[in-house]
Amino acid sequence: MAQRPTKDSKQSSAREERPPIVREKAPPLAPPRGRPTLILVGADKGGVGKTTIARVLLDYLAANNVLTRAFDTETPRGTLYRFHPDQTSVVDLTSTSDQMKIIDTLATAEIKVSVVDVRAGGLEPALQALQDTGFLEAVAEGEVGFILFHVLGSSIASLDEIAEVAPYVEDADYFLVKNHVNDTTFFEWDPVTHRKYFEKVETAGEITIPKLNELSYEQVEIAGAPFSTFVANRTAEGEPADHSFVLRGYVRTWQNRIADEFDRIHLLDRIAGREGA
Amino acid sequence: MSRRTLVFVACSPHPRSGVSTTARLLTDFYLSRLTEVEGFDTDPHAPRYHEWFPDRTRVIDTADIRGQISLFDRLLVDDGVPKIVDVWQRAYDRFFRTVKEIGFVEEAHLRGVEPILLFHVDPTDSSLASAQSLSAAWRDVSMVVVQNEGAAPLGAYAHETLAHYPSTRKFVVGPLDGAVAKALDEPDLSLSRLLVSPPPEMSIVIRAALKAWIAPIFTQFRSFELRQELDGAKFLK
Repeated sequence: MAQRPTKDSKQSSAREERPPIVREKAPPLAPPRGRPTLILVGADKGGVGKTTIARVLLDYLAANNVLTRAFDTETPRGTLYRFHPDQTSVVDLTSTSDQMKIIDTLATAEIKVSVVDVRAGGLEPALQALQDTGFLEAVAEGEVGFILFHVLGSSIASLDEIAEVAPYVEDADYFLVKNHVNDTTFFEWDPVTHRKYFEKVETAGEITIPKLNELSYEQVEIAGAPFSTFVANRTAEGEPADHSFVLRGYVRTWQNRIADEFDRIHLLDRIAGREGA
Repeated sequence: MSRRTLVFVACSPHPRSGVSTTARLLTDFYLSRLTEVEGFDTDPHAPRYHEWFPDRTRVIDTADIRGQISLFDRLLVDDGVPKIVDVWQRAYDRFFRTVKEIGFVEEAHLRGVEPILLFHVDPTDSSLASAQSLSAAWRDVSMVVVQNEGAAPLGAYAHETLAHYPSTRKFVVGPLDGAVAKALDEPDLSLSRLLVSPPPEMSIVIRAALKAWIAPIFTQFRSFELRQELDGAKFLK
């Protein structure tokens, strides 16, 4: 069993200075839908598509009638916030007050599912913060659900993150996300490297995000609307739009394929805390 | 009576099966009846169909997404103008892959647009397999098999061969004598104009042969059109 990283003395003293975080203990046998769940989408490497996956995840949950709140850690202006302003707050995960805003309200908020889009370079600090605040212990006790989507890039540095992240997520549903948005490969052509990184770490599974053609992606960017809004031929304000059917068709198919991946890993069951997920 | 915008997709997975000829004949059929028609040629390298109707057709590169937008977004407009797509055999797989990926058929039906596959048969087994594959993929799309007796003759057992195809509707395009076929290839020759005012310099024999060739084909198109209208007649249902 891997050891979680020990905190050095500086970190310990910093922790002591923080105000005590009051967490409401969730009933151990609460109805499945009542269990709060935190979903983290992150990577230390930039440009691997974290926010794209967070966006598609929010669309998927909305399509399945799962009320969700989102946190964008790309301060001061977040990309996730730009696309999902109604449900997203921009937060600074290194700030204690913002940590409280997320973690302390997990159980008390009416919306039980929280998605955090972690900015580049922020994954390990975020996990460290979750450990420091006692959140990971609550996960171990089954009080809250914790799902981590670790988005991988195609560099060795990105794959090295897997080993760094693994100790924090023993009790989480830890998924490696291979994002093919940029025609990336993940060393499938090099079995030794692939085995080294992908077969030695214990995860809940892998998710493959297929490629979306550049033109479709760009048009959604320009529209500044969620993917599902673009597919529905609406503007970000909900007015009828005039988006190309071809591009909407490509985005819809792409979304459906990702939804199949989320279905395959029983994401909704995991969120609901159902057995056998 | 519900009137729907027809989109004809002339296609074959193999070369020289008469796809462009059918696209041309159908375009001229509508023009001969003074009906607006719009065409799309998916062969960006040698757009033969486009050369016959430069003002009424567009060349589309289906490998390019902008080309796909020009094509499919236009095909989905329910404006009553029949549209004809000449699917180049090298664009065949990509064309139908795109149709599937963007959900074109489902959207077309929602918008009152009716796609009709004009599948051009040839004697190969793979032709039959391709037709069956299309039919299985889109069961609610009308398929008409087109037998071009000049370009892709089926031989003595044509009836038996055609019986295996997943459609009971068919168009037969008869063969042409060499000299007449050569006259047909002239890029300036308009078949719709030929019927009312043939070019004076054209041989009377060739003129008569072309008219005799065109007449039964246009009759089949008209018959098909009437059948479509009857099928769409709500009071008969």
